Amino acid sequence: MLETYFPVLVFVLIGLVFGIAPVITGMVVAPHRPNPEKLSPYECGFEAFEDARMKFDVRYYLISILFILFDLEVAFLVPWATIFKEIVATESIKFFGFVEMIVFIAILVVGYAYAWAKGGLDWE
Amino acid sequence: MEFKTFVFYFISAVLVFASLRVVTLKNPVHAALHLILAFFSASGVWILLQAEFLAIALVLVYVGAVMVLFLFVVMLLDINVDRLREGFWKYLPLASIVSLLMVAEMALVLGGTYSGLLESDIPQQDSQYSNSKALGRLLFTEYVYPFELASVILLVGVVAAVALTLRGKTKSKSVSPSEQVFVKAKDRVRVLKIPAEARE
Repeated sequence: MLETYFPVLVFVLIGLVFGIAPVITGMVVAPHRPNPEKLSPYECGFEAFEDARMKFDVRYYLISILFILFDLEVAFLVPWATIFKEIVATESIKFFGFVEMIVFIAILVVGYAYAWAKGGLDWE
Repeated sequence: MEFKTFVFYFISAVLVFASLRVVTLKNPVHAALHLILAFFSASGVWILLQAEFLAIALVLVYVGAVMVLFLFVVMLLDINVDRLREGFWKYLPLASIVSLLMVAEMALVLGGTYSGLLESDIPQQDSQYSNSKALGRLLFTEYVYPFELASVILLVGVVAAVALTLRGKTKSKSVSPSEQVFVKAKDRVRVLKIPAEARE
């Protein structure tokens, strides 16, 4: 089974080389002549007047946690999709195998509708 | 050395390095990025164990979604690094007890004879074998009730997230373009008839 993943490994290695090689080339080839003016922080022509590590609005958190919860559905939908043909072919669980996923999604749609109705998806 | 063994040791070395950096780095954002590297390496180890579905779910769910949440939490909390490091010696006794307990539990599970983990070998499957199909067959026939329960737990998560973080409409002065374009002149302008007055 593992040999089918060899292209993925090659892809990962090529990705690593493409990510690391330009940085190293830049460090080796580029001239280094720093002076205080070059090294000073610069922000659209002004002196930087605020720390970059500012607090984010809590609403970003809501968006990201909703994203996680609906992203988790993938972990259930993908195994279901891979065996869907088998489910349909088997007479005993033909209907049941379809309905159970519809129930699963329907329960999550309730949560989606709740978040929508409460205005959790609005950004003013 | 076999090629697979080499890949395993390489991925494990990256995993150990990344995990160490997660706990030793001062900057929490850099620590979170190293955690992403650790997740990627762990998914590589799982591929080597032939748990392909778990490996891809790890990348998709943990790296894609959970790490976004971690980074947001790091940015929400406005962490002061200097103040964080102050209590190191104060928390050391409690932290060492907790970590020793965790190590002991893991040693009991992994090293114990009753779990049979050391004797059992990785099942060797041919290239036609699909991990996610085997998982699906079990999940949608034998474990239907826990599967439906999972969706209820996710629903609780959605409701809790909305209830905890949604603070209603804030009074911002932003304008709504959709309302703006439907404004007619008579909504805004009032024409008054004022009788002319003679000059005194």
